[in-house]
Amino acid sequence: MEFLSNLALGFSVALTPANLVFAFVGAMIGTLIGVLPGIGPIATIAMLLPLTFHLEPTAGLIMLAGIFYGAQYGGSTTAILINLPGETSSVVTTLDGHQMARNGRAGAALAAAALASFLAGCVSTALIATLAPPLARVGQSFGAPEYFSLMVLGLIAAVVLAHGSVLKAIAMIVLGLLLGLIGTDGNTGGQRFTFGLNELADGIDVATLAIGLFGISEIMANLTQRESSREPVVQKITRLWPTGEEFRRGWPAALRGTALGAVLGVLPGGGATLSAFAAYALEKRVSDRPGMFGRGAIEGVAAPEAANNAGAQSSFIPMLTLGLPGNPVMALMIGALMIHGIQPGPQIMTERPQMFWGMVASMWIGNLMLVIINLPLIGMWVQLLKVPYRFLYLAVLLFCAIGVYTVSNSPAAVVMAAIFGVAGFVFQRLSCEPAPLILGFVLGPLMEENLRRALRVSGGDPMIFVNRPISLGLLIVALVLLLIVALPAIRSGREQAFQE
Amino acid sequence: MTEASGFPMTRPWRRLIHRDVLSGLLFIALAGLGLWLSRDYPVGTALRMGTGYVPRLLCWILLGLGAVIALRGFMAPGAERSTLPIGLAAVRPVILVFVALVVFGVSLERLGLVISILLLVGIGALAGRNLRPAETVLAAVVLVALAWGVFIAGLGLTIPVWPEW
Repeated sequence: MEFLSNLALGFSVALTPANLVFAFVGAMIGTLIGVLPGIGPIATIAMLLPLTFHLEPTAGLIMLAGIFYGAQYGGSTTAILINLPGETSSVVTTLDGHQMARNGRAGAALAAAALASFLAGCVSTALIATLAPPLARVGQSFGAPEYFSLMVLGLIAAVVLAHGSVLKAIAMIVLGLLLGLIGTDGNTGGQRFTFGLNELADGIDVATLAIGLFGISEIMANLTQRESSREPVVQKITRLWPTGEEFRRGWPAALRGTALGAVLGVLPGGGATLSAFAAYALEKRVSDRPGMFGRGAIEGVAAPEAANNAGAQSSFIPMLTLGLPGNPVMALMIGALMIHGIQPGPQIMTERPQMFWGMVASMWIGNLMLVIINLPLIGMWVQLLKVPYRFLYLAVLLFCAIGVYTVSNSPAAVVMAAIFGVAGFVFQRLSCEPAPLILGFVLGPLMEENLRRALRVSGGDPMIFVNRPISLGLLIVALVLLLIVALPAIRSGREQAFQE
Repeated sequence: MTEASGFPMTRPWRRLIHRDVLSGLLFIALAGLGLWLSRDYPVGTALRMGTGYVPRLLCWILLGLGAVIALRGFMAPGAERSTLPIGLAAVRPVILVFVALVVFGVSLERLGLVISILLLVGIGALAGRNLRPAETVLAAVVLVALAWGVFIAGLGLTIPVWPEW
């Protein structure tokens, strides 16, 4: 019954007029940036992060969360109608979704994507509500050594599940940890890597870093490429409703996608994109008509769209219960909590139950809103796609610039974001993923603090991490993960999985 | 990146521009910078860590990782056919977007929101492929109105709108 009373508390918070408005605003902005290629949820959330300082923390989190899952809905529209992923998590949706549109089934594809996402949203909201309390209880029993090992495991797992070279990803984590240390050392008061600049004394803000690495470098990368023609499939979307046959094939696929997405979302490094790819691969394998994939199979739309939404939402679980961010968006959410002086960790659920459960309930409400925003208003979003990129990037650039300025009301932040933009572009060209860097950046100060505390307890003996059973277990899992990727046989299998 | 973007190089030297070699060297350079900057930070002991303990530890790890990454890239099959990962096509957009942002940041407090946006849009438009003057003016007008509406009227941010004399 704890479950029901928790949800009741959540709905009483989420259904207040102000919070409903913020959930709606978040879902709208999310859909908007989801539809538009060239701007993703990471940069958008980073831009809006400073503004949430003026809001009540619950309202701010509700809005930011809405942007994240709203983008999963919006991304599918672009993927289906113009064969361009609005978000990376809808890349696979282009394969069958756009084919369906070409076969005159655009309406059915859009409906399948929205309904599958809604199903996934409902299931993963329930999952968060059931899984979070026990996980938080586990987290509360952790001491400093366990926390340190947990963060090591989280970072390693994030690297193993991400694509690309593991060594480079670990180097990016270390770089992120170092960037996170810039500023005044909380323990000794000494300045680190500040070049004597006052602007760096408080460290780099996570929003500045994220806007540079994900927003500005993306603009640079897009301008370097030739502008691709984006012609929407023009024919009228006549029937939105899928046929009986499409329903019969679609809903089990959506269920499988939801299950897969929910599991992968909880793992560090998982989340929306990985879930969508994995769900598509799974559907192809279990299908009785694999030949139809790539030619407009509705399973190829329903499963990945369910999976990316489930993955996006269930990635909140480790963030909310353990303070462990699994992807850059969750790292920003931790930033949002810290703006309000809320220490992320298992105590959130007991100390601020209204905030926690209000956010969970708002996710379900937000998903319901998104179905409404997406299906009847589809014509409006299609109109938006006609805005050419040469207008769009100027708007994105401006919003990035103003967003960064409002982080600390200082011109220095804008200059820093510009520098991180160039850095992000160079990293992208060198195939160094920026996501691990952000995770390291957020966890850096926390890891140092826990390392210090653990070593103080043990009198400077590093063996404390191995002598405590839970800590040892976590480290062994991390080591096993690393060994698995290092084995050549599994490495080639992993590459194959990402190619699919 | 095609041959046109790289400069002529003999095959063995091409190994040096493999993306892993370049990333490794970048990590080594950053680690070196970190070690140099933190040369005077007190390290302390594991029990009483000084300001420099964790940063220097991380820099050494980064240095090692960078070396391994560079070496593996150098030995990678096909590395002798590497081309420069960043071509000349990138120079213009990257530099102009960078300049546009820096100019915006520096001018915002002195020249106000309107002029800063005009500067940002003007420089930013040059970064695009084919500049269309009339469209850029239109974009600038729309963006000034939008930014004023959202940030000044809507959110009430305290950013000066006009130059402060």
